[in-house]
Amino acid sequence: MQFPGTAKPPVGIVFDSAMRRIDDALALAMLHGFEGKDQARIAAVCVSNADLQAAQFCDAVGRFYASATTGPAAMFMHFMPIGLADGKAAAESPMLSAPLAKKSADGKPVYATAVKSVNDTADGATLIRNVLMAQYDQNAAVVLSGPATDLARLLDMYGVKEWIARKVRLLCVADSGIQADAAAARKVFAEWPTPIVTAGREIGEALPFPGDSIDKDFAWSAERHPVVDAYRAYQPMPYDAPSWAMAAMLYAVHPDGGYFKLSGSGNRRELILDPEQKERIIRTYIEMASAKPVARKPRRPPDDKDKKEEQKKEEQKKEAAK
Amino acid sequence: MTITKKALPRRTFLRGLGTAVALPFLDAMVPALAAATTSKPPVRMAFVYVPNGIIMDGWNPDYEGALGELPRILKPLEPYRQDITLFGNLTHNTGRALLDGAGDHGRCCASYLTGVQPRKTVIDIKAGVSFDQIVANQVGKQTRFPSLELGMEDARQAGDCDSGYSCAYTNNLAWHSETQPLPPVLDPRALFERLFGNGMALTPAARARENLYRRSILDFVSDDTRKLETGLGPTDRRKLDEYLSSIREIERQIERAEKDNAQIDPHMDKPYGVPADFAEHFKLMSDMMTVAFQSDLTRVITFLVTHEGTSRPYREIDIPDGHHPLTHHRNQPDLIEKVTQINSYHVRQFAAWIAKMRTIREGDGSLLDNCMIVYGAGLSDGNRHLHEDLPTLIAGRGGSHFKTGRRIVYRKETPMCNLYLAMMDRMGVHVEHFGDSTGRLDALDLT
Repeated sequence: MQFPGTAKPPVGIVFDSAMRRIDDALALAMLHGFEGKDQARIAAVCVSNADLQAAQFCDAVGRFYASATTGPAAMFMHFMPIGLADGKAAAESPMLSAPLAKKSADGKPVYATAVKSVNDTADGATLIRNVLMAQYDQNAAVVLSGPATDLARLLDMYGVKEWIARKVRLLCVADSGIQADAAAARKVFAEWPTPIVTAGREIGEALPFPGDSIDKDFAWSAERHPVVDAYRAYQPMPYDAPSWAMAAMLYAVHPDGGYFKLSGSGNRRELILDPEQKERIIRTYIEMASAKPVARKPRRPPDDKDKKEEQKKEEQKKEAAK
Repeated sequence: MTITKKALPRRTFLRGLGTAVALPFLDAMVPALAAATTSKPPVRMAFVYVPNGIIMDGWNPDYEGALGELPRILKPLEPYRQDITLFGNLTHNTGRALLDGAGDHGRCCASYLTGVQPRKTVIDIKAGVSFDQIVANQVGKQTRFPSLELGMEDARQAGDCDSGYSCAYTNNLAWHSETQPLPPVLDPRALFERLFGNGMALTPAARARENLYRRSILDFVSDDTRKLETGLGPTDRRKLDEYLSSIREIERQIERAEKDNAQIDPHMDKPYGVPADFAEHFKLMSDMMTVAFQSDLTRVITFLVTHEGTSRPYREIDIPDGHHPLTHHRNQPDLIEKVTQINSYHVRQFAAWIAKMRTIREGDGSLLDNCMIVYGAGLSDGNRHLHEDLPTLIAGRGGSHFKTGRRIVYRKETPMCNLYLAMMDRMGVHVEHFGDSTGRLDALDLT
């Protein structure tokens, strides 16, 4: 679950979204772009409502980006399952059904997915717990864009709050959509043990993803890109898309990148748009979302030295506490 | 021993010189008017662990629900499919690297029953109390042995066995405490003497005396046997006869094994009494597990067939290559075929044990009905060292609790420890959390 290298790997991102809006799909593409450039790692992708199609879409996007990897690295490539929340099935969304239904000339699906039923997905909370255990301390961030159902359940798991506090440096919430499960939202804002930064409605609306980028910057994909197909199916073209989830993703990966300012102080803050950064932010959205799939290097275990040092520090802390 | 008109106590022994033979569950142990309500046979559990993963294409059926035709590796269990439950997607997250790098064999074995990530070390080992021992600590008070730990491959307990993991991790399944594994008994004779020798190891002189006369252990308890038989009905007399015959048969097998060992290879670096032949060794161990369950000597057994990461060859089935190197097959068909044959060979031995357990009547059903015998591995794909969708099946109904004859596929990442919580419930041990459990495995029960 960690990238090669002897130093601490880039931040591991847990992306938990409803995958009902196009900014969720673009944020997922951005995350793959960040991973391809070694600026982040995908720790887990979860769908925060009971939408099997959304899980299929996320899986198809993952396999699309993995298709660049061939040879021995492909043989050992391991696909983490997609997390999926329980509950009432969501209504069909053209943004998801269109790319999943797209067929090639020989009648086969253009975007393959291994998700056929709910049993091909993981319980979102369990998946997040499991992947957090594989992260270096303070080297993970959670991006939430949708109901906080999974995260509220995660907080109820035995002994998990300590893991979150230890592994996660930040929860970044795209405000739009979280109220779909108000009780879960209240619980997460009350009990989540790390700083929470919210990307409010106005941020997403002030930083629209430009629709003309789909034709221009994704041209390399020759109309074989699941997120491009999702974009075209989501609304009649051309349109610009508000970017709530993308803003949250960008801040989670680069909190010190100077893209945003923060309101207030303490552990519950909001993103504030710095007008001078607007062009840079949108440029980064486009660059990351339209990045080509990158071949993965065979993974090798991280250097034990780092882990031992962490363990030593942990033991010293315990001793001091005694 | 005194026989009265009261029900025969469950813990009745046939005693003789230095010997105590426990009895199977007899009808005479059930009070006549309360048979249906008060005295049900106890539930027992066992774990049969095979190393280095399984070729999953030969293990997983391509369907869920009622078991029909079984895939190649499970084929030997097909006649008994109504007695087994196959599980899909159970995962041991704590067997994964989780920043500890290489060493999946060490981790998967140490975490298999403990549900915790073992400390990566060769010196100051640390894992967790295994769940069989949690059960043994509670139900073990009712039996002579709280638990039995068995194995078939001699293995060291110290040193580095896998990329910085102590051999204590790869070579033990049961952990009494987080720093104390329970090494398995490998020698059938030692096990036999432990089970039937009144709990005392015989001195060399005593053993020599026994060997001189070659008397059966049953000879020592013959007086008690005769007394008991006069008070039993025809069904119980038949059960007792079958049971004592099975003990005698084990004795004969051990004698035969010792004789064969001497003939085959007198220089073998194995404990005296261990058969050279894998299948024969397995049968001996499984026969004794049967008797141990049948006579309620214990209700908890772990059986590490061979140790994790083993490179044991299988010349018995014309495979001279080491097991572990073969499992890193790099998708080469000939190597995959060999591993499949090894996996099938293991299941064949297991199926023979299950067949025997089914034939032993107990209460309203069979001995197997009152057991939960888990057969599985700590890795699924041994080539890639995967810790999810672990090959797992349970033989038996756990005391008529389980609806068997099915394949149940859970959601991915479902913790294996959820199965353990469900099993602990059936053993009468109620625990809220174990290892990385997130709840109890559902959909197991009859209702």
